[in-house]
Amino acid sequence: MVRDKAGKPAGKPRRSIRRAPLFPFWAVIGGAALVASIGAYPYYSTNIYVLTLLGKFLCYAIFALSIDLIWGFTGILSLGQAVYFGLGAYMVALSLKLNYALTHPTRFGNKIPDFMEWNSLTQVPGFMTPLYSTPLAIAAALVVPTLLALLFGAITFKRHIYGVYCAVITLAESLILQNFIIEYQAYTGGFNGITDYSNYVGPSVLWFILGVTVLFVIVARVLTHSRVGTVLKSIRDNDLRAEFMGYNVANYRIFVFCVSAFMAAAAGGMYAAWVGIISFLNVGPIFSIEGVIWTAVGGRGTLIGPVIGTFLVKGAEAFLSDRLADWWQIIVGALFILVVLVMRDGIVGTVMEWVQQRRRGSYRQILADADRTAHDLQMDWRTEGAPRPGEEVR
Amino acid sequence: MAALLEVTGLTTKVSGFTILNGLDLSVDEHELRVLLGPNGAGKTTLIAMITGQFKPVSGTIRFAGQDITGWAPDAIFQTGISRKFQVPNMYETLSVFDNVMVSLRGRRRVFATLFQLLRAPERDRIWDILEFVGLADKANDPADTLSHGERQWLELSMLIASDPKLLLLDEPTTGMTESDKHRTAELIQEIAKSHTVLLVEHDMHIVRQIGKRITVLHQGQRLAEGPLAEVMSNDLVRQVYLGKGKFQ
Repeated sequence: MVRDKAGKPAGKPRRSIRRAPLFPFWAVIGGAALVASIGAYPYYSTNIYVLTLLGKFLCYAIFALSIDLIWGFTGILSLGQAVYFGLGAYMVALSLKLNYALTHPTRFGNKIPDFMEWNSLTQVPGFMTPLYSTPLAIAAALVVPTLLALLFGAITFKRHIYGVYCAVITLAESLILQNFIIEYQAYTGGFNGITDYSNYVGPSVLWFILGVTVLFVIVARVLTHSRVGTVLKSIRDNDLRAEFMGYNVANYRIFVFCVSAFMAAAAGGMYAAWVGIISFLNVGPIFSIEGVIWTAVGGRGTLIGPVIGTFLVKGAEAFLSDRLADWWQIIVGALFILVVLVMRDGIVGTVMEWVQQRRRGSYRQILADADRTAHDLQMDWRTEGAPRPGEEVR
Repeated sequence: MAALLEVTGLTTKVSGFTILNGLDLSVDEHELRVLLGPNGAGKTTLIAMITGQFKPVSGTIRFAGQDITGWAPDAIFQTGISRKFQVPNMYETLSVFDNVMVSLRGRRRVFATLFQLLRAPERDRIWDILEFVGLADKANDPADTLSHGERQWLELSMLIASDPKLLLLDEPTTGMTESDKHRTAELIQEIAKSHTVLLVEHDMHIVRQIGKRITVLHQGQRLAEGPLAEVMSNDLVRQVYLGKGKFQ
């Protein structure tokens, strides 16, 4: 690409904005190929194990996408995103279990879930009865986590808590919900989680999950590409500047937090229906942090990165962990450290950066530009005897 | 003419230290006021108070007939006050064009920006502003590739885009080369034709170039106020400043 910087015509510079298209050609082609190869799997293979994994990974991918939306685009590091995934999952799992119990009575002939009977409940508690209805259960699985995100988000962001403190608070939220689920085992299944209900595995369900994944990627892309996305990125870059430019930073953070929670909840609901088991581990901090790792490995702030990161890390885990079982968690941890140290932008981010640099010009040109900027800075700051750049001065 | 900005008896403390001590200040509409003062006089603190970053211990700030004391920063912006920080503050990863775009005056609520598209008049306005400050060539570059002087100009253009009634400029020439400083002073004079400007400036060349009415702060209080020549011949001001060698 030739830039008209040097040989600029005498008149005004061209008023052209260089902006990535909403759906780049390569992304559409690549995405379609990915969708086709995943969706076609059940038709050319009978391997039920891999099929199950694919559906699971897609749910995880949405989960990572939801983390990318708040972390990569708005700068909110949440270590409690699993709260929303898990809540959505528990709602769906409870609903399926309740209905399963109607046709599969327990050993003593009660038509209530087995874990309730073990905890000496004789009937389903009143507040759970709406979950018998599937539409109500789906609505609850999507709405309840989103409302909880609204509440937690308002508490956190209205009080100007960001950064590390936000990560700690969300981590605590995750721990609280996890302990809550373990403690109230009569209603949640406790340590055992909820299992033994009729789950939905099959090509059509896989296509449904795939469709939702594609839909969420598109929604996230439109959202981050629009004006509101630019505002979110500006808040990520410099929340102080955005605040003094009249943006209510807290409201924007709450908004994107709720959108992200909604996506995580949908992923959780589909996960519970697909896998057929849900436990306290899926609301805990470990799972949240895993999601953060997938996002970081794939590339935060890229939308497609988290999906790729999830498939790579979880895929490697599925096919390597039987050989490296004891070592696997250590390997994932090391991978995260490696990414943070060597590839700050993750796999996709690094590749995109490389492509952009090739387009912009040679490395030598970039280095020359950087040198000039640094030179400008140093000279200016030294002659003034003023503090270094970036230092806040009263 | 009624004062646009009126600060009365403003007192503030930061971790026990009294920074502003019963400060009075009033700025008229379409005025270009320069705020002078040695380090620690409370210039930046005053700007932080006006824009709502800190809450005062006592005193009131009135702007365009409204009492804005203790309002949130985004609400104060909506009344028409934009602030430039001492160290350039912009959105590093966004392009120069986008930096100005998000600063355009307009609706700021989440659901209002959700479906907002960039209309042609807005786009033209952004280009006009970028051409005015001389950054149109770099409109597509990420803001973090700009040099220090260009960053200052970018923040200035963001402020112009936000179309305020009052611009608070906190040392906009810090860290600039002499030619850049001169250019910035010209820009500020141009801006001041259509806006009210309160300018904090140390550099006496700049002050001489553009200063009409000057307020000198010292230890959180107003030491002197008046036209440039009058203030510079003021004995108190000379005492405060001469030790620092700022006046030749």
